[in-house]
Amino acid sequence: MAQPDEAAPQQTQAVTAAVAAPAGVPVGNPYLAMILAWLVPGLGHIYLRRIGRGLVFLLLALVSLWVGCALQGNLYRPLPGQPLTLLATGGAMGMGLPYFVLRYGADYAGDIVGAGYEYGTAFLLTAGLMNWLLVLDAWDISRGKKE
Amino acid sequence: MSHFFLMVLYSLVVSLFFTLLWRRERKEQVRLFLQLFLGMVGGGLLVAWLMYPFPQGPPAPLP
Repeated sequence: MAQPDEAAPQQTQAVTAAVAAPAGVPVGNPYLAMILAWLVPGLGHIYLRRIGRGLVFLLLALVSLWVGCALQGNLYRPLPGQPLTLLATGGAMGMGLPYFVLRYGADYAGDIVGAGYEYGTAFLLTAGLMNWLLVLDAWDISRGKKE
Repeated sequence: MSHFFLMVLYSLVVSLFFTLLWRRERKEQVRLFLQLFLGMVGGGLLVAWLMYPFPQGPPAPLP
């Protein structure tokens, strides 16, 4: 059992750390932030006045998308009899508007015999999954849970 | 684009993303970025080196 004299410095450190940690301040509408973050990667952060970070997230998502498309990767869509494609489609749809533009606007499907097919698929899926994390991050920032 | 270049590019994108997502202070960002980036590239090279003795086998048939 810790003696009072030994516990005091630890308590002081804990209090100091709590005071020093930047308290998140709620900003913006969390639902709007999530929707914007999902529609366009980084837009949720820009809406929440994290402009620099939002622009870098947008750039990273665009690079990932561009490389994925250049390599003719698979843009997942549900296939009958293959339930795992539902999961992968959910992941890829995380990229928001670009997913629907590619799928329905550009009629993009990838090329399964392309040399970069597997790599491209990894890049496209990663773009979607990263953006799902950005949606959650935008929610946390908006609610003041995170700086 | 070579396999190595794509691996480095992928590692770069993912490392940058998680660095900006998880860290706010510049010093911590640099440290985490290096950990993630070097871990992914180094890990990839290590796995490739471990797989080197295995025979390649016949080329995969085209679908």
